[in-house]
Amino acid sequence: MSKYSRRTFLRAAAATGIAVACAPAAQPSAAPPTGAAPSQAKGLTGTITVSYPDELGVKPKYVDQAAQAVQTANSGATVKVDLQKVSDDLYYPKLLLALQSGGDVPDVFHFGGDSIGELADAGYIEPLDTYVNAWADWKFYPDSIKKGATYKGKVWAIPYGMDTRWLYFRRDDLQKAGLAADWSPSKLDDVLAAASAVKSKVSSVVPYALYAGAAASDGARDHAFVPLVWAYGGDVITSDGKWVGNSPAIRKALAYYQKVYGQGLSPKEILTSTKPWTAMRAKLGDGSLALLFEGGWVYGGWASKDKAGTEKNVGYLLHPTETGGPSFTIGGLGTCWYITARSKNKELAWEFIKTWNNKDTVAKINIEDPHPVARSDSAEVPEFKAQQYLVDSTKSLEKAKFVPPDPNLSKITTAIQKATGRVANGDSSPDDAAKQYSADLKQAIGADKVVEQ
Amino acid sequence: MVARNSTYLVGVTPAALLLALFFVGPALWALYSSLTNLALVGIDAANPRFVGLDNYARLFADPDFWTVIRNSVVFVVGSAVIGQFVLGLALALLIDHAEHRGWWLGALAYGAVLLAWVNPALIAGFLWVAMYDFFFGSLNHVFLSSLGFGPVDWIGSFPMPAVILANIWRGTAFTMIIFLGALKTIPPDIYEAARIDGANAWRRFWDHTLPSLRPIAALALLSITMSTFGTFIVIQALTNGGPGIATEVIALYAFHTAFKSFSIGYGSAIAVVMLALNFAFAVVYLNWSRARA
Repeated sequence: MSKYSRRTFLRAAAATGIAVACAPAAQPSAAPPTGAAPSQAKGLTGTITVSYPDELGVKPKYVDQAAQAVQTANSGATVKVDLQKVSDDLYYPKLLLALQSGGDVPDVFHFGGDSIGELADAGYIEPLDTYVNAWADWKFYPDSIKKGATYKGKVWAIPYGMDTRWLYFRRDDLQKAGLAADWSPSKLDDVLAAASAVKSKVSSVVPYALYAGAAASDGARDHAFVPLVWAYGGDVITSDGKWVGNSPAIRKALAYYQKVYGQGLSPKEILTSTKPWTAMRAKLGDGSLALLFEGGWVYGGWASKDKAGTEKNVGYLLHPTETGGPSFTIGGLGTCWYITARSKNKELAWEFIKTWNNKDTVAKINIEDPHPVARSDSAEVPEFKAQQYLVDSTKSLEKAKFVPPDPNLSKITTAIQKATGRVANGDSSPDDAAKQYSADLKQAIGADKVVEQ
Repeated sequence: MVARNSTYLVGVTPAALLLALFFVGPALWALYSSLTNLALVGIDAANPRFVGLDNYARLFADPDFWTVIRNSVVFVVGSAVIGQFVLGLALALLIDHAEHRGWWLGALAYGAVLLAWVNPALIAGFLWVAMYDFFFGSLNHVFLSSLGFGPVDWIGSFPMPAVILANIWRGTAFTMIIFLGALKTIPPDIYEAARIDGANAWRRFWDHTLPSLRPIAALALLSITMSTFGTFIVIQALTNGGPGIATEVIALYAFHTAFKSFSIGYGSAIAVVMLALNFAFAVVYLNWSRARA
């Protein structure tokens, strides 16, 4: 037994109960060496396992269709589907333990595109350049999206539905608070003013949900802290890839948290609930929350329950800035398909990804679970174009800024959660929290990768 | 003699092997990995390096770690030592007393306390979420509203008491059962003699019951201290360590570090410190139990 496998075996023992391998064994087959040019996709043989998490229940039929199509076109091929009905938060650590354990891993998996850097650096995923270069449909992916899927000069993942975010507001609640139904904040302070108006005039409604702390998971980063830093004219990372530890914009963003939580505009349950976004999304949907900056995909949950009511009462806007400058959103690659580096049948794995990411599937799944489409030809599908919300979402990406796929993103996210949690809970002043954020970043990723402004 | 020893060895070998596999092995691995910068993602996942005691130096300089230690001590003292131990003993005495007199209320109380214990920790956590929740919780919407009061942000305003109460509710049955068993081993003649000597209930408890219970009390205290020190499911379900890190205890901190930040090396260092503290508890309690028994 090699040293590596001994170590990983013990790790697996240590994590008993948590470390459950994500997928059954992939059968060995005639796999090309890493980086080999893919052969023509006919008559592929062997078995692959496709692993993906899904709580909504939207993806399974598309995954099963693609698996079936691959098997029909390649009579010697078997595609095993490993559907994990858990949230991404629970799926990811399990997947990582499997990827690092040295045991069996899925050939294809499905996870957020912001993990490209940390997965690639760990050696878990396979670069896809040889495959995409031989794929005629790659031309339908806009350069900005190709760039988003590229890390250290290589393409690592295939996105299909992009992430965008909106500042959602309830027209009915704001009207009760004396504001216009077509409320449109020109500056960030207008959001606070609207939340205060709701608090004082509509006591039954939660004014505002600003995600903070560890419980909010990635929401503390993407749906609150990062857009706030941008709104105050700063950035979280410099152009040469160093993270900004303490800056005027970061202090202002944390001061914004202090105002929101100090004035009781956001409920402290956000800091303590498990998956607080579940409750906050439900509340905005039923009108018991007035303001929420959240993912564009959330709209689909409300619209599927009550389309007319949602269109009437839920407004969506870009994120305003401190000075009334151009509003913006935070974009993302959304969830992507990856091939594991240890897959023994990468050609068949690619065949599955290619089959799944066809024009119609990309359009249909993004109609059902609303996201801007990654393929430009899918945006031209009439059913997609007929949905005003989807057209608006796709257009919002023109105003989107992106967080680069940094390999240390998980550690940075923890530092963000701590900083926002400290201020929201009243444990630290914004200035002290910014100093501690800087110290936490230096400790987590190394002082040479952090700057102060 | 040899034959007796071989029989003994055959008997303990399976248990010893299992312990080695599932406890000693992982503990040694945790010790080893705490000296590395091993991670689950990024370059440190591909090429972990030996970093010596860096993780420990970082841990002891981490202000959050000391908050976490303080939280753990408050949680253990509040929910295990004061809550489960004292309440478990009091309940055992009351139920024992009720049983001697044939009161049916004793059996009912016994059943109720036991019901809380049979709940898995996660279910217990969510039951208390359903009680405390600001928006939908029964404490606010059934209890307080029927009294005409407005809702209280229980978890946000009183996070540590909230998780302590939930853990006491769930865990008291264990000490209660232990003490109920121990109470039955005390010969009744002692009490009769004490009664004849004119000792009141308090003196009988202090002079006879408590000394008889001491050895078992030390073991019960050790057991609940160690299990409470390692508790994280109830807290994770209730507060996830928040708000801020107000209810982040050491087991939760190790879990968050290893499986949210994916820093396995640093998370292992936290786990090793936790192991050392548990070891210290064991030594102190066992010494106490031997000295006084």
